[in-house]
Amino acid sequence: MSSTIKGQRPLLSAVGLSKYFPLETGLLASLRGNTTTVKAVESVSLDVYAGQTVAVVGESGSGKSTLGRLLLRLLQPSAGQVLYQGEDIFGMNRAETRAFRRQAQIILQDPYASLNPRMRVGRIIREPLDIYSEGSKTERQKRVHELLERVGLNRNHERAFPAELSGGQRQRVGIAAALALSPRIIIADEPTSSLDVSVQAQTLNLLADLQRDLGLTYVFITHDLSVVQHISDRVAVMYLGKIVEEAPTETLFAEPKHPYTQVLFSAIPLPDPARRMNWDLPKGEPPSPLNPPSGCHFHPRCPQAMSACSHTVPRFQSVARDHGLACLLYEDGVN
Amino acid sequence: MSLLSVRDLSTEFRSGGRWLEAVSDVAFDLQRGEILGLVGESGCGKSTIAYSVMRLLARNARIRSGEVWLDDVNLAALDEERLQDLRGRQISMIFQDPTTALDSLFTVGHQVMETLQEHLDLDPAGARQRALELLRQLGIPAANQRLNAYPYQFSGGMSQRIALAIAIACHPQVLIADEPTTALDVTIQAQILQLIRQLLVDEQGAGVLLITHDLGVVAQVCDRVAVMYAGKIVEFGDVHSLFSNPLHPYTQALLNSLPSKGIARGRLENIQGRVPSLADRPSGCRFHPRCPQAKAVCRKSVPPLKQVSASQEVACVLYD
Repeated sequence: MSSTIKGQRPLLSAVGLSKYFPLETGLLASLRGNTTTVKAVESVSLDVYAGQTVAVVGESGSGKSTLGRLLLRLLQPSAGQVLYQGEDIFGMNRAETRAFRRQAQIILQDPYASLNPRMRVGRIIREPLDIYSEGSKTERQKRVHELLERVGLNRNHERAFPAELSGGQRQRVGIAAALALSPRIIIADEPTSSLDVSVQAQTLNLLADLQRDLGLTYVFITHDLSVVQHISDRVAVMYLGKIVEEAPTETLFAEPKHPYTQVLFSAIPLPDPARRMNWDLPKGEPPSPLNPPSGCHFHPRCPQAMSACSHTVPRFQSVARDHGLACLLYEDGVN
Repeated sequence: MSLLSVRDLSTEFRSGGRWLEAVSDVAFDLQRGEILGLVGESGCGKSTIAYSVMRLLARNARIRSGEVWLDDVNLAALDEERLQDLRGRQISMIFQDPTTALDSLFTVGHQVMETLQEHLDLDPAGARQRALELLRQLGIPAANQRLNAYPYQFSGGMSQRIALAIAIACHPQVLIADEPTTALDVTIQAQILQLIRQLLVDEQGAGVLLITHDLGVVAQVCDRVAVMYAGKIVEFGDVHSLFSNPLHPYTQALLNSLPSKGIARGRLENIQGRVPSLADRPSGCRFHPRCPQAKAVCRKSVPPLKQVSASQEVACVLYD
């Protein structure tokens, strides 16, 4: 399957998207006008085609969750656009935003924190239908039953409170609520990270079934590269707010080009004792997004850094069809 | 002789006026210079074993029976004063969340030096010197300044290094590591695992009991593995045998549910049903209600852990 669909417009695109958070710095500093900002997401561009799964991977502080929230207009960007079917979601009026939100939903990591503990499962799933005045009361009730079945639960779960369910069941409730309004795209932010492997397998299978049956598009935000390899068509790797490499999943796993992607892949503990890692690890930790290194953000930890990397910001460019990255090693005329 | 020998350990929790068994008749030996993995899903009792060995169980829990031998001392029957003396000196523990393991009101240096002075005959200057060496060994940059910093000034990875420094400060023979890298990013996880392997196991010959749910971590760093299900060890063996030839149907199912088996985009196998609760453990083999190969006998008789090859033990009637 070709990843870029020729002649087709992306369903969702980020164009030069940035989000800076001002940091609380105390009264005196703010009176003096000293404000610090965290560049959580910086000039990110990404295309998501209908029916595909795009994974956004990165370590903590890479900005992947902030990106997910921007894509749904849960945050206002500092710069840039998010286009849904060609239309900027930040320029939409109330009615248009309401229509957009029917079509774009989110699934969150922690099924313990994201479900209201005082609401019964039936009401959690019905709530989006109530808000959008979807059908009659009986129709909504019928829809709730359909959704429960669709995610592998049954009518008996309707009266339960979240606390009475296991982690895997709660995540199914979250998925059912996200599906209630028949969205076209779902942003899944670490949906399986808090689950045990056997429950994770059930959840990933469910998400794959839903995609096949309902033609869903996923943006899958995760730090777990084995999940990425399993579920996604394309992968974007983020480091300190920027996408450093983006490619079809197979290409990226076969031939990671950016030194950070290589380091990240080499640190994944493979469940195979015959293929042990060589422990050739990057030194140090990801720097604070408060004070990112100059030039290429990765240069202080990069095993292949050159002198230019400390002062030149690499441009994101294509190195092959469908394969882009931001690294001076692949830019002409720099070294 | 093994460093640590756990014999028929059973630990129970009090809940709703009843005692419920979380760990049932668990036995294993930890050898010098090895990392022994204790692996299983949430609620299987793996952390309860760690807390039982360290005698750090919560008030509503107790060791019902069994022995925990560290050299010639049975920790399970030891008084609190002698335990205090052994903890940190001969046996140490690190936890999943390094930030809660450190006291936020004291500098990191104070906390490392406290352990050193408690157990070793060191004056403050000597303790500071040793603390500095430890921080350097653990790859903490600007160690001298960092000694005066408070825990909130450290990242998760750096906090875990400090916790590890405190744990290994007195060269313990045994380290118990309860999900030590679960809260960390993969690159930091790899660094911490490498430190444990190099500093503690290869250089000092200590034994490490590594508790984890992550089969990738097990495959990468463990020498031997115990797989737990619902409070019991169901399979025990050398890491290579376990991954290449898993015997217990639960171990097989667990390995097959991993997404990274190389079959991109295929369906993952999953285990029917869910882990039974403490109050409601099945009779016979506890895995039988979910086991694809269960027979009638599995409902009745409890299979003991039996040696089936030089490197593997399994508790399953299929191997009788």
